[in-house]
Amino acid sequence: MSFASGSLLPTMVRRERASLAATVLAPVLALLVALILNLSLYRLMGRDPVAIVYAMLLEPFMSWASFSEVLLKAGPLLLIAQGLAIGFRAKVFNIGAEGQFILGAIFASAIPVYFPQATGQWIWPAMLLFGAIGGALWASITAFWRVRLNANEILVSLMLSLVAAQLLNYLLLGPWKDPNGFNFPQSVMFQYDAMVPTLIAGTRLNVSFLITLVLSLAAFVFMQKSFSGYKLQVGGLAPRAAGYAGFKQGSAIWLSLLIGGFAAGLAGAAEVAGPIGQLQRSISSGYGYAAIIVAYLGGLHPIGIVVSALVMAVIYIGGDNAMVSANLPIAAVRVFQGSLLLGYLIAIAFVRYRLEWPKTAPKAADRSPS
Amino acid sequence: MLTNLTRRTLMQGLAATGLAGALGSRLALAADEPLGITLVIPSPVGDVGWGHALAAGLEPIKAAYGDKVKITVLESIAEGPDADRIMTKTVADGNKFLIAGSFGYQNGALQIARRDPSVTVLHASGFQVAPNFSPFAAKYFQGTYLLGMAAAALSKTGKLGSVSAFAIPELITSINAFTLGAQSVNPDIEVSVVWVNSWFDPAKEQEAAKALIAQKCDVIFSNAQDTPSVIAACEEAGVYSFNLNSSMKKYAEKTYLGCVATDWSPFFKASVDAHLAGSFKGANAFLGVSEQVVEVVDWNPDVPADTMTKIKEIEAKIADGSFSPFTGPVTKADGTEGIAAGVTPADPEIIAMDWHVKGVATPLPK
Repeated sequence: MSFASGSLLPTMVRRERASLAATVLAPVLALLVALILNLSLYRLMGRDPVAIVYAMLLEPFMSWASFSEVLLKAGPLLLIAQGLAIGFRAKVFNIGAEGQFILGAIFASAIPVYFPQATGQWIWPAMLLFGAIGGALWASITAFWRVRLNANEILVSLMLSLVAAQLLNYLLLGPWKDPNGFNFPQSVMFQYDAMVPTLIAGTRLNVSFLITLVLSLAAFVFMQKSFSGYKLQVGGLAPRAAGYAGFKQGSAIWLSLLIGGFAAGLAGAAEVAGPIGQLQRSISSGYGYAAIIVAYLGGLHPIGIVVSALVMAVIYIGGDNAMVSANLPIAAVRVFQGSLLLGYLIAIAFVRYRLEWPKTAPKAADRSPS
Repeated sequence: MLTNLTRRTLMQGLAATGLAGALGSRLALAADEPLGITLVIPSPVGDVGWGHALAAGLEPIKAAYGDKVKITVLESIAEGPDADRIMTKTVADGNKFLIAGSFGYQNGALQIARRDPSVTVLHASGFQVAPNFSPFAAKYFQGTYLLGMAAAALSKTGKLGSVSAFAIPELITSINAFTLGAQSVNPDIEVSVVWVNSWFDPAKEQEAAKALIAQKCDVIFSNAQDTPSVIAACEEAGVYSFNLNSSMKKYAEKTYLGCVATDWSPFFKASVDAHLAGSFKGANAFLGVSEQVVEVVDWNPDVPADTMTKIKEIEAKIADGSFSPFTGPVTKADGTEGIAAGVTPADPEIIAMDWHVKGVATPLPK
């Protein structure tokens, strides 16, 4: 991020060490700036800012019912982001978690679709496992092309997401269509044993959230403590050093994509076997893409990702609340979400970098147009 | 867990719900508190289209009841778990009248109705019925039949096209009636269909329209799109087009053929009245020309006068119930008999129609 030398503009220089206080303060600052900007906006729109802030930022925490919805929304984001972050740290950019999520949902649904009468507590765990395998298989296509033909994994994985969506459409409009569903593009409703048991009675939060937490811990151990995780990180930070050390790039790519696909596929399976209860065309609402933001907001660190997934979920649920209870238009909700993310990214850039002014530049340069 | 409940009950039939609904007292409504009415739709309200027509259908209620109702419109709500949460939330906030404006909201909305018998739910395009849950749909086919007549009279190539959202019965019947109407004027007419698998995707719809025009279709039916993209593309290509729900004439001054408009206000008003009186009863509401829900408006003056006279005759017969577009003999696209000669299918059969009539060139997605 350097500008032409000799210009009067400052350059951004990476700090030797980002201060911990600033790292913690950055999101708070971003929230404050976003709040002030958006509250002024609501004022101009003639809405009641207090009601909106309450609905957006406080209501998600005010009852178990609404907080469980936050956790439900955070679940898939957290799971997918943990998987992606491992790849991102190895500089393997799997952008296709959306497609891997869909394949996970499809693989998991195969059991209740083909055995709608089956009973037994083995069904939902088998579905989750199937889903994870499905996601990993879908990601393996990307890994294969990347390793064998050096095809860009960003493009391949992204394109495969579109293919996955069409595959889902095909199944729902054709062989997997509910025979009693009036031709609507959806599968049969799953039987009771094909649903992940709920965690708290009366809410939609289910056991898959616990699995997600356990896997987050596993991601932490893998990345921070294991030798394989270390090899991945070295490969990402210093590919040539990794090469000299004999760490194979191919296996890093395979491992990154398989882990990412596994996590996304598991999330997809948990979604159809959880709050949805059938395979339908709108299973994802963009989790695979939102998880990329979650991964980076969390600094690609397993613990940071837990926090960022929760924050994103609160933003989503709070936005919905503001729309429903405070009558805020959906566009304004998205402006809030966008300004919060943008504010955070700007703040975090200044935590990691500092501005360096040209030494010889006159003081007036401060106010020069950029 | 909530989803589990729906699913279980769905599988075991609706008997239990019926009981709960009957027992649930509707008299508990506080008289002085305004009735909260929430409309949830999958696309933006916009200036035209499905969501716009639904929102417009609430205007007369606002005018009639004033402060006694509080109307909230929630737009761009994706079908799925988010919609379930949002609908649950609006009902928890005290809104007792929910209009779930898309098929995909069915399971979530049904479970809300089941949990709280004091809530009334109207659900678009579905098939589930409960004591406080009414599915509603428009008999678009009554209007598309008339436009089929006009299209056949205007077409030079004998080929008509349709850009359609999803291959569900509601849309299939619209295409079938359009085809039958066209065949009543020109028996050799052919209809091609492109399914875009989306209610709202301007780019894809426009591409589909251009593809149909390239195949020499010279009247295009924009079937259940919430955007004027098809209409605008047709104006550009100088090809006639029409759509459903609300008029898009301003996007195609020259080639706009007409609009199968829907006015939901009579139905919404009657349902709100019934809810307030405590007499609401869930039933399948399949509404057409006779109920003043469906009406063809903005006819293009290019339609030949003699065709127009015939159209008006048929329209009057549809309104008084003496004519149905689907009276047999109707042959299926695969050549087998669809409806026997002289038989007029009842509403439930029309609602479940999942085959194309002869003359629709594109096979249904399988």
